[in-house]
Amino acid sequence: MNHRGGWALIKRTWMSWIQDRGFFFVLAFGWMIPPLVALFAWMAAAGNGTIAGMDRRAFAGYYLVLVLVNQLTYSQTNWTLGDIIREGMLDSWLLRPLSPFYQVLSSEVAGKVVYMVFVIPATGLLAILLQPKVDISPSRLGLFLLALILAWGLRFFWGYWLALIAFWASRADALLAVQDSLVFLLSGVVAPIALLSPSLQTAAILLPFRYMVGFPVEILTRPLSDEILLQGLAIQIAWLMTALLLTRIVWRAGIRHYASARG
Amino acid sequence: MRPFHLIYRFMKASFQEEAAYRVNFYIRLLHSLLNLLVGVVGVGVLFYQVQSLQGWSYSQAMALLGVYLLIGSLRGLFIGPSLESLAGLGREIWTGNFDFTLLRPVDTQFLVTFRQWRFFALVDLILGIGVITSSFMSSTPPGLLDVVAFLFALAAGTAVLYAILLIFTSLVFWGPGFLFTWVFDALFQLARYPVGIYPPWLRFILTWLIPVGMMTTIPAEFLTGSGSLLLLGSSLLTSGLLVLAASLIFHRALRRYTSASS
Amino acid sequence: MTIPLIRVDHLSKVFRVPEREPGLKAAMRALFHRTYRQVCAVQDISFTIGEGEIVGLIGPNGAGKTTTLKILAGLLYPTSGEVTLAGYIPWQRRAAFLNQIGMVQGNKSQLLWDIPAMDSYHVLSEIYRIPMRQFKETLDELVRLLQMEDLLTRPIRNLSLGERMKCELVAGLLHRPKVLFLDEPTLGLDVTTQNRLRLFIAEYNRRFGACILLTSHYMADVEQLCPRVILIHNGQLLHDGALQGLAERMAPFKLIRVTLDGGVAINRGLPQLPEGAELLERNENHLILRCSRSAAPVVTSCLLSACPVTDLTVEDPPIEAVIDQVYREGIA
Repeated sequence: MNHRGGWALIKRTWMSWIQDRGFFFVLAFGWMIPPLVALFAWMAAAGNGTIAGMDRRAFAGYYLVLVLVNQLTYSQTNWTLGDIIREGMLDSWLLRPLSPFYQVLSSEVAGKVVYMVFVIPATGLLAILLQPKVDISPSRLGLFLLALILAWGLRFFWGYWLALIAFWASRADALLAVQDSLVFLLSGVVAPIALLSPSLQTAAILLPFRYMVGFPVEILTRPLSDEILLQGLAIQIAWLMTALLLTRIVWRAGIRHYASARG
Repeated sequence: MRPFHLIYRFMKASFQEEAAYRVNFYIRLLHSLLNLLVGVVGVGVLFYQVQSLQGWSYSQAMALLGVYLLIGSLRGLFIGPSLESLAGLGREIWTGNFDFTLLRPVDTQFLVTFRQWRFFALVDLILGIGVITSSFMSSTPPGLLDVVAFLFALAAGTAVLYAILLIFTSLVFWGPGFLFTWVFDALFQLARYPVGIYPPWLRFILTWLIPVGMMTTIPAEFLTGSGSLLLLGSSLLTSGLLVLAASLIFHRALRRYTSASS
Repeated sequence: MTIPLIRVDHLSKVFRVPEREPGLKAAMRALFHRTYRQVCAVQDISFTIGEGEIVGLIGPNGAGKTTTLKILAGLLYPTSGEVTLAGYIPWQRRAAFLNQIGMVQGNKSQLLWDIPAMDSYHVLSEIYRIPMRQFKETLDELVRLLQMEDLLTRPIRNLSLGERMKCELVAGLLHRPKVLFLDEPTLGLDVTTQNRLRLFIAEYNRRFGACILLTSHYMADVEQLCPRVILIHNGQLLHDGALQGLAERMAPFKLIRVTLDGGVAINRGLPQLPEGAELLERNENHLILRCSRSAAPVVTSCLLSACPVTDLTVEDPPIEAVIDQVYREGIA
């Protein structure tokens, strides 16, 4: 792999994104809102009491961490990838002596940096206003970081293979919209998983979506037992492996289709 | 009568444009259903845990959700598409095609407000009415007067929505990369729930700066029986003033465009 | 004295453009502080144009042509100076003014992409309040002139560039504007289509007596269509008059091509050149000489009497070469 070219690409992408920072700040602002709306609804619902053991400040803690995790694991790159395949711009990527994966990775890395420049201060400001309560034991911090990285990988590759369906179906971005909705409902955004009805809870635990956002947040802010924690990590890793496998299969088949279908 | 002729022509052309892409029909249907699903489950999950939310019962909150879908569909019918074709990414202001719009011997604001229609939004309209109707299954339906008052409040809410979107559109003249629909979408999310649930500082913003509450909460209050004539009057007055202000800002933006672009 | 259709008086336009150096550091600096530069797009330009005239607006890229055109169409406010068009001040954009002008741009479309041109025309007829009868008459005539009956019912996106341009022209002319602005109308078209469009523009001008202002980078457009050209360079008006006049001013010399009788010429070597003539090129028995305009008759007669000439032509230097010289060096 051509790592030098890859790094140059990452640097260039980041530079051009920093110049258009306003654009990306606005995007990040938009992504922050749905979890915040849910937070305000739960804070109002809790009033001065608690719901399933969570009071206002516990909700605030859960959701502010969730805003950060959601932003770190969300990859808008997958949306762009579909457009690029659809508009036939993939050719120019394939012509370069560089794995096309770097193209995707460069905007992914550039994006994370630029978004965080906005999201971290914004969350900080909200923390001052809402006075969240988060009990962090140092031992959980490491696990949180591990789960966070796995969550990013899972969400990224899950979206990646869905986006690659664009090789066959021009409106494959609809699949990404479905994924976004399911993430909203089943990954702990609309409500912490523990507050869902039993059937939704079961679905959330078995399907991959909780492991894209909610799981790392729960590690940091909810008292999970060791057993549940290990079970969660196992499911998360299993889904990540599935996503990687699917990405590999779909990319190979897609490139073959792309090269043959366009003559 | 001329404005109506013109609007009719715009509708006809838009309908033909829309019909050119039939696949989009299914994609839009999917998005509408997802939007409905997210809304209904969101309210459902909340009321699975509590009996009332700041005085709003489950059925009242569902009525509010219905109003949210309804007003969203009115936006999608023409306000949204028209303004986006002007100021969206890669659209008129971006490409410079706005020149042609300026050259037309018709009021520019009228032109940019009414020229694009998306009739698919009628599906959202039906979904919204469906949610409102179903919310009355378990509570007393509103009387005729309430419904009339609701319709007026809804009109005022739509006018507020239009005014805010027009102001955002005008800002695009200052920064062509401004994602005005994105910002509006984000703020509009707040209209899913009654304004009363938000912390005081946010409520202040949503009442005075970007009156999201006027779009859904106030109309919904007439459906759930807590509206008053005073509320309706002030709602209509505010929406009128806001549309006026938006129009002024839009004309300033036009002036800027014609003095600065190259 | 009659008032001219278009009067431009000491027109100037200054833009403020942001400046940024390349590199990461400059990008960071620009986060906090932006520097601007004043650019004079148009400087103190004056001219008048009468009814029914076709005028070519020429100049290199960035010369200020489009800015001038946009000010005349009311799309831009000038920084200073006065403009009246048919008695109106363009940038007030009165409906009565807008009804009298039309604009067609080679690189922009005013038609809806996904539907047939005919449907866009119906929308335009409503916008310009064209009476139904007049709409039909105008459309029929334009369609006949452009030979495009079969294009009206096909979606624009399925048309070729040339076909699309025809549809654009009709869109710009449906309301029979008194003044037509054509901005690079032949951009990217093949030679045949370019020719057809030129013929159409000339015919339209003759038939409807419309005043046409045209910008183009193709000299053929200007040569064939515009008895009068206005040359703008670096925002300044350098020439206003016939294209030929520009050539004469710019290139006060003629080219003389001579063919000598082969056998005789080569044996005798090169003849003594007449005074004032300069040898540009010699290829076997073909010669190209250059001399000043005034000296041309003398040089020619000298050549004819002194040499075994089999063929001789006197011509102006090609207009492209003259324009190239102006664009690079300006007018001395």
